[in-house]
Amino acid sequence: MNYERELLKGSTDSLLLSLINNQPMYGYQIIKELERRSNGYFQFKEGTLYPALHRLEKAGLIYGKWQKLPNGQERRYYYITLKGQKILAERLAVWQDFSTAVSLIMQPASN
Amino acid sequence: MVPIKLSYFENLKRYLRLDPGLESDVIKEICTHLEDRSHELKESGLSEEEATNIATRILGPPQLVARQIYEVYSQGTWRQSLCAGLPHLLIALLFALHFWNNVFSLAIVLVLVVSVTIYGWCHGRPNWLFPWLGYSLVPVIATGALLIYLPGAWSWFAILAYVPLVLLVIISVTKASLKRDWLFTSLMLLPLPITIGWVVALLGNTNLLWKEQIQHFAPMIALSFSVLAIAAATFIRMKQRWAKFGTLVVLESIVFIMIVYAGKSSVSPVTWLLIALLGLFLLLGPALLEQNFTRNHSKPA
Repeated sequence: MNYERELLKGSTDSLLLSLINNQPMYGYQIIKELERRSNGYFQFKEGTLYPALHRLEKAGLIYGKWQKLPNGQERRYYYITLKGQKILAERLAVWQDFSTAVSLIMQPASN
Repeated sequence: MVPIKLSYFENLKRYLRLDPGLESDVIKEICTHLEDRSHELKESGLSEEEATNIATRILGPPQLVARQIYEVYSQGTWRQSLCAGLPHLLIALLFALHFWNNVFSLAIVLVLVVSVTIYGWCHGRPNWLFPWLGYSLVPVIATGALLIYLPGAWSWFAILAYVPLVLLVIISVTKASLKRDWLFTSLMLLPLPITIGWVVALLGNTNLLWKEQIQHFAPMIALSFSVLAIAAATFIRMKQRWAKFGTLVVLESIVFIMIVYAGKSSVSPVTWLLIALLGLFLLLGPALLEQNFTRNHSKPA
């Protein structure tokens, strides 16, 4: 369980960047999308999402903008920046190399 | 608003301690999240109270959420750090370059301190403002102290009119800084026990004349204010609250030991103990005041 938490902790920023890169999203939408696309695997404390989003925003990887929905409600949508896209591409390359190397060692029969 | 939701956001606000604009943005964002989740739960058949209760539980403890968001924004930039240390450095320079007895230099520093304070106060009270604010209160207090020594009716005027006015100004400034964060009030009051310590050390040393004493101790005084500059700059760069407070306590203690060492032959240990207690009170007092302030404000009408 702790191992899983550590893995998630190390990947949270990349997962968020990846989702926001696909389309601008607001907090609750990100939670639902993470849950949906991981078949319910990613279910983290919802409150911890906002510190992560604000950390990425402070680092200049994403930016938030309030938008009014047709029903009058306001949502803070997050958009990826050029710097964020660059970092995401770097992380994706590292992740692919890493997961290939881990698979070669941990699942040798399937390779 | 449902009481659980109200209490959740009161706690969140209490621990966020961000710039007012940013704080209202964060609260609004989390509030919309909570509403979305509650709405979804209500659609599944739960009552409003049950839905809000579950939604706040899923969101996590407000203290934890607030602390994590606080730590994102609590670390100031290097520029803010330099700005916070600058007023202490100016005082250190006055003594290091022996400009402390030059009226022109003192006037320049005074005008600069007051101007920067007014600028910062009118521009959203940024984190670097508070050390400047502390120094801009010094001439206000010093004028009051000098007025008391005036002859005849003037001293009564000082006691009856100026002193209450000064107290009012100090209380309003302290309240305003407490509203933001008690740690900033501690940062603001940082030079006060050090200044008192130096005055006591100089007054106790009767071997030299007043001017000669300052001249004699000037390098040490400059060094002590340089350490305060490091304390203020480090405070701004720290993320965690305990690290910010620890910085103030450790570096102020070092300065205090320096002053005791410089004036050890002339001042009684009881006096030093009293000044040390005053220093501790000025560091911790704002936390107690803030607690009292928050309790009074959260009492139902």
